[in-house]
Amino acid sequence: MADAGRKLSLAAWAWVLFAGLATFELVAHPVILEAIPDDASWEEASAFVRAQFEPGDRIVAAPPWIDPIVRKELGDLTPLRIAALADGAGVGRVWELGIRGATTRADIPAQERDFDGIRVRIWPVESPLLVYDFVANIEDARVELETEEGPRTCPWTRGRPAPGGLERGPMRPEERFVCDAKRPWLWVGPTVLADLELQPRRCIWQHPAGPTAVRTIFSDVPLGTRLIVRGGVDYQVARQRAHAPVTLRVWIDDAIAAEWDHHDGDGWSGFEIDTSARDGSLATVRFETTAPDPFARLFCFAASSQRELRGD
Amino acid sequence: MTDARTLTRWDHAIGAALCLGYVAVLLYTAPDLAMSRDESFYAHAAKNIAGWLQEALTDPALALRQDHVDQAWRYNWEHPALMKLTFAWSWLAQERFGLFPIDSLAFRLPGMLSAGLLLWLIYGWGASVMARSGAMFSALAFATMPRVFYHSHLDCFDVPIAFFSTLTAYAYWRALRDRRWVLVLGLVFGLALSTKHNSWMLPGIFLIHFAWLRVDEARAGVDRRTPMTWLASMLVIGPLVFIGTWPWLWRDTWNRIAAYVSFHLRHVHYTYEFLGVSYFEPPLPMSVPFVMTLFTVSLVVLGLALAGVLSCRAELRVPWRVRPGDSTTRRTDVLWLGCLVAPLLAIALPSSPIFGGTKHWITAYPFLALFAGRGLLAVTERAELGPWMGRRAAAPAFAAFCLLPGLVQTAHSHPFALSHYMPIAGGVPGAADLGMNRQFWGFTTGSLTDWLVEQLPNGGSVWLCDTTAGAWAMLQADDAVPRNIRAARSMSEADFALVHHEQHFAEVDYQAWVAYGTTQPVHVLLYDGVPIISVYENPNRYERGSPD
Repeated sequence: MADAGRKLSLAAWAWVLFAGLATFELVAHPVILEAIPDDASWEEASAFVRAQFEPGDRIVAAPPWIDPIVRKELGDLTPLRIAALADGAGVGRVWELGIRGATTRADIPAQERDFDGIRVRIWPVESPLLVYDFVANIEDARVELETEEGPRTCPWTRGRPAPGGLERGPMRPEERFVCDAKRPWLWVGPTVLADLELQPRRCIWQHPAGPTAVRTIFSDVPLGTRLIVRGGVDYQVARQRAHAPVTLRVWIDDAIAAEWDHHDGDGWSGFEIDTSARDGSLATVRFETTAPDPFARLFCFAASSQRELRGD
Repeated sequence: MTDARTLTRWDHAIGAALCLGYVAVLLYTAPDLAMSRDESFYAHAAKNIAGWLQEALTDPALALRQDHVDQAWRYNWEHPALMKLTFAWSWLAQERFGLFPIDSLAFRLPGMLSAGLLLWLIYGWGASVMARSGAMFSALAFATMPRVFYHSHLDCFDVPIAFFSTLTAYAYWRALRDRRWVLVLGLVFGLALSTKHNSWMLPGIFLIHFAWLRVDEARAGVDRRTPMTWLASMLVIGPLVFIGTWPWLWRDTWNRIAAYVSFHLRHVHYTYEFLGVSYFEPPLPMSVPFVMTLFTVSLVVLGLALAGVLSCRAELRVPWRVRPGDSTTRRTDVLWLGCLVAPLLAIALPSSPIFGGTKHWITAYPFLALFAGRGLLAVTERAELGPWMGRRAAAPAFAAFCLLPGLVQTAHSHPFALSHYMPIAGGVPGAADLGMNRQFWGFTTGSLTDWLVEQLPNGGSVWLCDTTAGAWAMLQADDAVPRNIRAARSMSEADFALVHHEQHFAEVDYQAWVAYGTTQPVHVLLYDGVPIISVYENPNRYERGSPD
């Protein structure tokens, strides 16, 4: 043991370094595992949210990759409209279930609780009042395809849904308006689009037929102070930025209210129409899509009439 | 580094023990892994080929008819024949003798054997040029790389090409000093060509190494320089073996070879998530193979490999920086470094198709392991650990300690290895935070079978997402799931729909929401708290009269 006090050579220090690396990997492993919330923690955190949940609340996950776990626990409180938000209208509070210190917001929450690694936080948010959701009411609409012989009604039909799968685009639902059985993409109905950022957007599929219009008409729509319209093309084709723009025209009681060109690469985007002059009245609202070339125009839009909440 | 030491019987006994021990572990753990997408394609191809082999044995003339050859070999024509032939022979043995308890093992055994033989080769080549302890460390360091361990189970070509590439490099190295190996080199290069196209880069690596040697010799004034017969052997015998083992090429040879080459040069791009971005088209960031190696190989092994490279920097010097006559070896380190770096650079090139999985540069890892062995020896020998520690077993203990992280992580990675990341990445959840690829190939469905069987005691149907029908059929053949739980063609027909979580599979998640009218999965398969598969239940399954 007389050698034990010898000065360490450079190589011996290298030995210490490698032993340190091995020690780091061996120690870090259980530390990483220890930080993973267990089932009981998820159940407790979910029970806490469930007990205070109110209609209009939105539940989000941080980091986003835990979203499937959060939806497994609280998905019954997360309808499609909220999970695949087209815009923020109608959301009164935001719940966040977060792990690993991740968060979706920088501001101070109204409430915060920790459940053994799961941090539950809540924020009240100001958002416009949702007066009418066009996607939710699509079944009550009338759909037409403009043809050489004039407009042809597309019937609401129960048919075979899409099988699903990667690169198959948004799900074709079982119930939808079918405009042309020979062109299986020429239907109108509610679905969820994966936008250019792969985010879910609940919307009305309205693939243009070409230069002639596909038209969806909503009657007796209660108007608010504004009409918000958002739209996008499925990410698979939008990212190619290679296809013709889609034109969406909005008519309110037979007067054109807006015309909007959506280009690939724009992502989920849109516009708003000022309806404050007609706030509280009923109107017929018509959405028309066209494109110079209908190839791969997997277009989907969402719209709602909203009323700004004004503080006193 | 010793230029070459003759291996003893003892060395081969150690190599054989490594080989057999590894194969035994692979056989034991393989049933935990459902077949991956690619495996299911190769198993299908192997069955076709097995039928043709049987015909060739009973009626060779019939088997050699163009239409019979094409019928057997057309499926999966884009990959050469060698491993598919071994899978086919193994399958025939299973059919005839029932050698394996489950069918999937019959297809997988040849790949496992190549993994075992690769350990033997790493040990053998290592022991030829360095102390046995370093060689042993190299072999074990390779065996305990989590992703190597996973790929070693499969009826795929990745570990076999790692074996044949390393064997070709070894044969080339031997052929530089021993003419008898020149013919062997041509043969094994042919086998490498007949395994996978990674082999195409080998002559280029050898030519650079050989140029290095020749300049050394020229500067030293050596009269009798190392002959170039090895190249002739590779260029003549190699293609002959390649074509000879692949009946698909026996007719319309040039067109079919051109189609094969073109397929891989213009390969489809596999969408790959790296640091939060899903890449659909090239170029992938050049850092991908290097960061993925950092995140999936034990840090201490990487550190030792770096130390190994640094320890032989004198041997790695370019010829004009070496005094004439000083270098009399085969420059083994230069060869190893070339074999280590070339596969990584090939993937890093902006012009390369998108290949994100570590399997695409797995041919580099035997050489990474060999350098790690060199690094271990450099550290332990120079540190004089014995006197300092006061223990004679200090060096072996240190080696074992350095292997321990890889061993622990490999054990922990099973059966989710493609989702596994080392602690330097923060483990599996840390990699999820960083936005690293979660998985591919759909094999993780194998970890759901118990849950599905429990939910569907009287049978039913499952929409399989990224798992192929062939992989599901193999799970049924292996009795992992009963045959009355069938693969559904569409979500709406299924009792349950699976979604394998990868960033670009988000659209499939949304499809399930619409199909079933809910965003709530009934089950989420987790690995270290990270979602791997979400399972959605069809709300109409009872109305549709599901047998359950």
